[in-house]
This record gives sequence, structure tokens and C-alpha cells, in this order.
Amino acid sequence: LVDESMPKQRSHRQIPEGYNYTEYHPMEEIYKWMTQIQESNSELVTQHHLGKTIENRTIYYLQISQPSNKPKKIIWMDCGIHAREWISPAFCQWFVKEILQNYKSDAMIRRFLQNLDLYILPVLNVDGYIYSWEAERLWRKNRSPYMNGTCYGTDLNRNFNSSWGSVGVSYNCTSEIFCGSGPESEPETRAVAQFIEKKKTDILCYLTIHSYGQYILTPYGSTTTPPSNNEELMHVAQKAAAALMGKHGTSYKVGSTSSILYSNSGSSRDWAHMIGIPFSYTFELRDNGTHGFTLPSDQIQPTCEETMLAVTTIIDYVDQKYFPGGAVMLTSGTLVLLHGCLKETDLV
Amino acid sequence: MKRSKGSATHRHRALPVLLLLLSAQLPRPAVAEQPPWAPGVERALDPSSRLAVGAARVALHNYNFHAASPSGLRALGQVRKATVKSIPGVGQKCYLQFTTEDYRSRENAGSCLATVLYPKKKSPPAVNIKCINTKDQKQIQEEDNRLYQKLKRQTKPITGSNIPDSFGNIEPALEPVWALAVAGSSYMMWEKSTEKVGYFMTQVKSVKQWMRKDDSLEFDYVILLHEMPTQEMISCHMRLIWLPGHPLKVKYTCDSENHRLEDGSGMESGSAAGIIREREENF
Repeated sequence: LVDESMPKQRSHRQIPEGYNYTEYHPMEEIYKWMTQIQESNSELVTQHHLGKTIENRTIYYLQISQPSNKPKKIIWMDCGIHAREWISPAFCQWFVKEILQNYKSDAMIRRFLQNLDLYILPVLNVDGYIYSWEAERLWRKNRSPYMNGTCYGTDLNRNFNSSWGSVGVSYNCTSEIFCGSGPESEPETRAVAQFIEKKKTDILCYLTIHSYGQYILTPYGSTTTPPSNNEELMHVAQKAAAALMGKHGTSYKVGSTSSILYSNSGSSRDWAHMIGIPFSYTFELRDNGTHGFTLPSDQIQPTCEETMLAVTTIIDYVDQKYFPGGAVMLTSGTLVLLHGCLKETDLV
Repeated sequence: MKRSKGSATHRHRALPVLLLLLSAQLPRPAVAEQPPWAPGVERALDPSSRLAVGAARVALHNYNFHAASPSGLRALGQVRKATVKSIPGVGQKCYLQFTTEDYRSRENAGSCLATVLYPKKKSPPAVNIKCINTKDQKQIQEEDNRLYQKLKRQTKPITGSNIPDSFGNIEPALEPVWALAVAGSSYMMWEKSTEKVGYFMTQVKSVKQWMRKDDSLEFDYVILLHEMPTQEMISCHMRLIWLPGHPLKVKYTCDSENHRLEDGSGMESGSAAGIIREREENF
């Protein structure tokens, strides 16, 4: 349900009707929200089945796609890989709302939607998220049973096939960073990995949203060897952090996971970059430890507002890089065509 | 580190040397960690590096504990400058300059200079820290006194659980009790921190007041500490005694967690259950 009565200038008060984006929502409400978002914005949004969780729940993603004849490239963003990081799914929902409210009026969004499709996964670890609502607020992993059901949960962000099991993990199911019985042992991991693998030639940007700590993290966690496009990755991340800070003064640290956070293998972001997705980032949202995972809901709005600026900075950069000077991908062929058509064509 | 007695003053013997070292222009290393470094050579650290940020946090745990002030708690802002020196046979010493924020409001609270020595042998880091105050110290003391009076006025023992709750809310009446928990937990977190392992106080699982005949306030807590990088939630039992203007008395025991990281780092967290770490001061 998109609150279309929201004025273009963002007020600080949330209008009572419609979905409340400044509150945390349990999974049942998020499922309903996805259905309603698609129904109210069917020209732009479609809901898709990604896979099933270990407890047989459905994992859905939303595709935001401006109808067009052109082939598009893809921006992927997932939230809620770790159950207790509630601000993460809250941000994915906020992001979708913002795009849908502003795509007609905001020039930057309008521009990139001409070239890019946005694939948003609001809650990856559905079982874990539900468990954090119903049983244990600080649960992190999925709900995969091990050792005859005496131990539960794999850390999905240690379960991807990126130097799996080599550093910053545990082989013991009782650990919060248990990497699973093998790379992609978990259905949630496989659901994401298989989809992204299939679409990887079209995916320009992989974003994964976590909390807390206030970081924009670049590859890698599994090694200190920098990625081939490190300079550019860092430059864009710093731009994003600066944009973020401009909103409410929140400072984010920027750097590779292995140098500023800790070493870890099997992360989704490392894997995405390793299979060739050039702009891969992990966000760790507010705060810096005062509330940690239990970020009060009065911080949802400011967190989402500032993070929105960071994410759109990245998307905008990617858009300008791969679709420079207009809505056309400049290959040598199209360059010749453009030249001839320039007089007639209205280049937006 | 020699435990200080009496009121909460901070060491600043090393300060002139510290200032000199930090003002020197030091070359930036290509990669943050590249063993082995020549002993005794001080090298620059990326202020964002986990060694620098971790050390700053440890220094602040020490500060928050010694300040013994629920109204004067500080959180890390940004590390501005950091260097590290390896001292053979002793350990690694970090020299830091960082900004701080009010723990609750995130308002700028002033900057600090600190040294943190991580000993080779398993023992708490040695900290020297000196901070500038942007907030009026008298105002902080008055707030502490107000909190104290509010708590003292209660005729029945204060109890609580899950502070903050799942939604991050803290009942206003229990805020002082939570803030005291942060101050007391700082002692536990300082003692348990190493170059590789750090902590954040996540939640007061439960709190129960022990009524006292004297002027002090005494609380029994179960605290959850978030341990990094293991991501574990460590449960600790903490007994705290507070009187404004006096050092905190803290006794604690944390559940033993034996999670090895699969990289041979040999990192084990927590103390064996049953061992009580004590920190008492004579008023």
C-alpha cells in the first residue's frame, strides 16, 4: 500500500493512513505489504518467487522495472540476511516506497529507471526473522537443524561459495558464525546464488544491507588482497558516505571488510564480486553500538533517509558510468546511429 | 596497569610524549597488517582500521568505567589519528586521537587522547586516557545527582527485564538503571577486550535492586554483551554499587564461551564460569 497522499516535500510526521514505514513489521505484514505494493503499482512492480527457506517458507523479491523496449541492466539489493538486524528489512521497504513515490518527480530516479531494473529482496532469512520476533530477539542465523535437531542455524553470510570455510568462521553449529556443512548448504543461500548466477551478466551492482556499525564495506572479507577495481569501489563508496553524512551528520566508515571490520569467508558480497559483479557493497546501518541491533523505531526514518542518499548515489554512479550522456548504452555501433539521428531524436 | 584509587581521575603522564608523537608526520603503510614489523618502531594506522577503532573503544570502556557517571557516558565518534608500536616481550601499544559523542544523544562530547597497551600475556589492556569536555562537568554531576535522588526515593526494590526491549525502547523510569549498567559493563568489556576481540553492551536481560542501609545504590544485573568478531551474545552476571562522585564497585562473572575461529587465531572468549572478577575501591 503506497501512501500517495504524502507531499513531495518530506514532512517529519508520518501520515496515519497506509503502511507505517517508521515501525518494525513482522513477516506476515511484510508479505502482505509486498502483495499490496505490487497491486498498487502494477505498472512498475512485480513480485517474484526466489525460493524456499529450510522451514519451507517462500522468499520473494520485488522487481521495479520501467516498461521499455530496451534491455536493462540490474541493481540487486537484499535485506535481512541476519535475523536480528531489523533496521535492514525496514530499509528495503523504505527504499521501495521512496522509489515508487518519487520516480515521476525525481530526475535522478527517472533517469536510472530508464536503464536499470531494481531487484529488491526485503527479507532473505525469513525463518530467522520470524524467530527473532517470536522466540529470540537476538537470533542471527537461519533455522537449519543440525546434529539431529539439537542445534540450529547456519550463518547465511558465511555460507556462500567465496573461499568458504577458510577464515572468520566456525565449523561448530553452536557458533553464531557457523558456516554450514558446505558452501551453499542452505536453501536460502542457494536461492539467492542460483538466481544471481543466472543473471550475473546483467547485474552491475550487488548491495547487501546489514546492521550495525555504520560502515560501507568493499570486497573482500576473505582476503586482504584488494579487488581489481578497488580504487573505483572506494571512490564511489566515499561519495555515498559523504552524501549520507550530509543528511543528519551520521558518519560512516568506508573500507574493505578485512581491513576495517574483520576477516570472514563465505560472504554474499565477496561471492557477488568474485563472480564478476563490479559494484558490490555491504552496508552496516545505524548505530555505532549504543542500541546495536535493537535500534529504536524513532531512528528508522533518519536512518532510512540518509541510507537512501548513499544507495542512490551508488546507483546513479553506476547508471552514469554504463549509460553515459543519455538513455542509450554507447557501443561503437550505436554511436554511429546516434550521430545520424541526433537532429530528430529527443534525447532525454 | 596500576589500579587507581580514590576518585576517577585519568592518567596523563604520557600526554606530552603522546602529543609529540601524534603530531609527527608518519608514512602510511600500504596494508594495515603486515607482520613482522621492527620492534619499537611506531607506524601509522589507518584511522578506520579495526585495530585503531577497537583500541579507541577499549579506551572509552576504561573512561566510562572510571568516570562512574551515568549522565557522562561517551561513545566513539571518529578516530582522527592512530599509531601503533610493537614492544618486544610486552605487547602492542596504540596511540590514539579520537572524537566522542554522548552515548545517548550522539551530540559531540569532545575529543580524547589515549594509549592502549595490549599485553602479550592474557591480561586486560592497559589504558591511559584524557578527554576534553564539551559538556559542562558541573551539569553532568547535577544530572547524576538527580538520577541518584530519583532512584533513592524508590521505597521498593527496582526490578526490570529486557532493557531495551525488542523495539529498542527503554522505559524512562529505568533509563538511569540502564545507564549504570553501561558504566558497569564498561569494566567487563575493558577487561575482556584484546586486539582481536571487542564488545558492545547489548541489553540488560534483568536487573534487581538490593536495598542498602547506607547511601549507595546496589544492583544485580544479567547483561548481554555482543562479542566481535565471533558475533556471540555473552551473558554476564554483574553486581554494581554506585554513589555519585565515587568510583563504581563492580563484581562480575560471564558465561564461558569456547568458540574457536577457524583460522588458527586461537581466540577464545569469556572467563570460566565460577571465577568472579572483582574490582573494589575503598571510598
